[in-house]
Amino acid sequence: MTWIGEDDSAAVDVVVNGRPTAMRVPARRTLADALRDDGLTGTHLGCEHGVCGACTVLLDGRPVRSCLTLAVQAEGADVETVEGMAEGPELHVLQRAFHENGALQCGFCTPGFLMLALGLLRAEPEAPPERVREVLTSNLCRCTGGGPIVQAVLAAQRELAGDVA
Amino acid sequence: MTRVRGLVGADVERLADLPLLTGAARYVADVHRDGEVHARIVRSQVAHARIVGIDTADAEAVPGVLAVITADDLPDVRIPIRLPLADTPRARRVLQPPLARGVVRYVGEPIAVVVATDAYVAEDAAELVDVDLDDLDVVAEVATAADPGMPVLHPDLGDNIVSSYPLHHGDVDAAFARADVVVRERLRMHRHTAVPMETRGAIAEVDPATGRLTLWGGAKVKHAVRAALGEMLSMEPADIRIVEVNVGGGFGVRGEAYPEDYLVAFLALRLRRPVKWIEDRTEHFVATNHAREQEHELEIAATADGRLLAFRDRAWCDQGAYARSQGTLPELLPALHLPGPYRWEAFALETTGVLTNRTPVGTYRGPGMTEAAFVRERLLDVLAGRLGLDPAELRRRNLIRDDDLPFTWSLGAGSAPVPPISYQSGAFCSSFETLLERAGYDELRREAATRSGDTISVGVGVATYVEVGAMGPFEDARIAPAADGSFVVHVGVASLGQGVETVLAQIAGDELGVPMDRLRVDHHDTDAVPMGFGAFASRSTPVAGNAVLLAARDLRTKAAKLLGAEPDDVEFRDGHVHGPGGASCPVQDVGEGRGRFDKPHPTFSFGAALSVVEVERDTGRVRVVRHVVVHDVGRAVNPALVRGQLAGAASQGIGAALLEELSYDERAQPMATTLGDYRLPSAGELPDIEVIVLEHPAPGNPLGAKGAGESGMVGTPAAVANAVADALGATGPQVTTLPLTADRVRALLREAT
Ligand code: FES
Ligand code: FES
Repeated sequence: MTWIGEDDSAAVDVVVNGRPTAMRVPARRTLADALRDDGLTGTHLGCEHGVCGACTVLLDGRPVRSCLTLAVQAEGADVETVEGMAEGPELHVLQRAFHENGALQCGFCTPGFLMLALGLLRAEPEAPPERVREVLTSNLCRCTGGGPIVQAVLAAQRELAGDVA
Repeated sequence: MTRVRGLVGADVERLADLPLLTGAARYVADVHRDGEVHARIVRSQVAHARIVGIDTADAEAVPGVLAVITADDLPDVRIPIRLPLADTPRARRVLQPPLARGVVRYVGEPIAVVVATDAYVAEDAAELVDVDLDDLDVVAEVATAADPGMPVLHPDLGDNIVSSYPLHHGDVDAAFARADVVVRERLRMHRHTAVPMETRGAIAEVDPATGRLTLWGGAKVKHAVRAALGEMLSMEPADIRIVEVNVGGGFGVRGEAYPEDYLVAFLALRLRRPVKWIEDRTEHFVATNHAREQEHELEIAATADGRLLAFRDRAWCDQGAYARSQGTLPELLPALHLPGPYRWEAFALETTGVLTNRTPVGTYRGPGMTEAAFVRERLLDVLAGRLGLDPAELRRRNLIRDDDLPFTWSLGAGSAPVPPISYQSGAFCSSFETLLERAGYDELRREAATRSGDTISVGVGVATYVEVGAMGPFEDARIAPAADGSFVVHVGVASLGQGVETVLAQIAGDELGVPMDRLRVDHHDTDAVPMGFGAFASRSTPVAGNAVLLAARDLRTKAAKLLGAEPDDVEFRDGHVHGPGGASCPVQDVGEGRGRFDKPHPTFSFGAALSVVEVERDTGRVRVVRHVVVHDVGRAVNPALVRGQLAGAASQGIGAALLEELSYDERAQPMATTLGDYRLPSAGELPDIEVIVLEHPAPGNPLGAKGAGESGMVGTPAAVANAVADALGATGPQVTTLPLTADRVRALLREAT
């Protein structure tokens, strides 16, 4: 086993939003900070202690708190952030649903909620409303209280289901 | 007036959502300047102590550390009070220095700043600053803070009292002498605060060529912060530029002048490098303004048939350890709101701001009014119980009648000088009836009775209030046409996520008759907008909105003059102005439209809240199952956004009533310093808030708007508290304090048995 110091840099190979990326980061740098330092500032930090969920990204498809994840833990993984959601100028169904349902005011919590919802709807496209609400309680929105966010995700879920059918 | 497109009053889509949805928006932590370095604040870990010495050597020795400063490195300056009406000689003697001078007075008070090339290194080095402190006795409680014999926080003040606001109306003693019933209670609203999802932050940079200072991270009151920094740094305000980028929620606490704004500016000037500071969440809980904590001794006198006669109130309002930029507002605002919307023959009240060894208190959404509504509305329900009257009926009998408006309280001898408490317009009684009707109050009461059983108790609560808003003094607006046919509206407000740019663009577009995509609102930069009073007291729409309307009219009038036409007959299209007979000219030939709206006195508006709760009797858990708020907004420029504001504010009010508390132990150590300890409500704990928007236009302003940003909050904690008390039974224990956490409710239930 080799030990590295907290500020020694480590090489991390990840795929970020489909793009293979070689990061060199100090061993103690969080994934959130590493992404943000890489220019992906859509991932926000609201608490840095794992409660608010503003920093949620998808790691191999699963929503994680990137403030509690070290960048080195993402070695070899597929990372998705809010910047990868829209296809060019075409917003993702979830993004449009947030806009249409008043699910954002200041927008600070929005990327985290979008990633959380994306992870949920991919893993459980047929999640019942109670399940959607329950999952969304893991993030916090101070402006809207979260109700409109639940409505937005349910609307997006209906739209996605319609597309498939 | 032409209303070409009917934009005002329509649910126009929010502008500027796109960058928020795609991650492209730039918040202050996302701003980078070349060569930036990072500041970390060393904060006091004890509540009250003399500073014996500060050893910075170890921190300075850490590679990457550029500077460590303490109060000795700073001039002896204080953060000034922003509003003249809250500025008193005594408050000025307890203003906060940016770094503690000789004594620390609360946990979290800045003592030193470490600057390093990397934020992680700055944080490490800050741990190495060795502060030698001699503990002093603490003042940890609001009700006894002013008692004789308590330690005095600021010795040259002589005691812990910042200021008092006595107000008298009518003959209180005579009214109490006539009363059939008197109820009295000691009621306490707890310390809690805004907790926006984005913490504060700032970056300061000095232009080496001109010496001008730019500070990114402004919000709320940028021009006031510029003036404060100018005073503290001995610079001309014109040499300071404050820039607002995206702001992750404000709710009153964000964007005032804080110690850290001065510190990063001072350091940027000293180091000649951009200095960045981003607050972490744990710091936020001790550094950003707290709010609300007050204790009231309230008594109400009434007749046996439920007519309110008079009230007396004596209140202690916590200021924390210093007066900050909000001056005496923590005691002034509740004084203005205690009478509320009822026909009192007489009242006598006195609110006193006191100092305690805790984080300073500022204004949080619905400041002073939320506290006043809680104590008054709670005691009214106690009175209703005593009289055997339905709580809604008691209010119905005593609200100021629709045709009694306008109504102004006459204040007697010995009253403090305060702005007129004057209700200009509205319809209190019928607005309250609307709430009861739409919520189905009578049916809810019946249901509550039948559904309550051994395991669950259901309760219904209501509360009414008046709210001050639309504070002046004035706002300026400028509308500049561009060659491509678009228009830029310059105005000194702040966007904190409330959608103000959308609303202001609607107002301009409506008057000019141009579509939303031709309008841009510029409010971000103090250089572009020379003056502005900012976003507080629900003032952006009623004050800045009217200024924008006047600027648009001015532009229309100027264009008409140029074409020799009537203002109503010109049309703005394709970068040109067109007159009736085919006359036209490029819109840029018209010049700019300018408007100024003066608002010498604030506007009071009426609202109410209704809450239905379920109390689980074994666990004490309270669930709000329905919550309805009504507010008279005067005129809703964008009803969907207004509803969003009211619902968001009500959600925060439910959090305040049930979950959130900034508690301290007897050594004045804060017990809530993470989002784990300080529980914000999530979608799982909130019902879908029902919102009723009423429009009784405000006279004396062309738009008729009254403001709505805070209203959903004001009656909410009171309504929830009343609903819980109702669930526990009229003869049960009194709910006199919040939040109604499960363990508090269990204690109340034990008391009842
Ligand atoms: S920033 Fe990661 S959970 Fe709050
Ligand atoms: S939109 Fe502001 S925190 Fe959610």
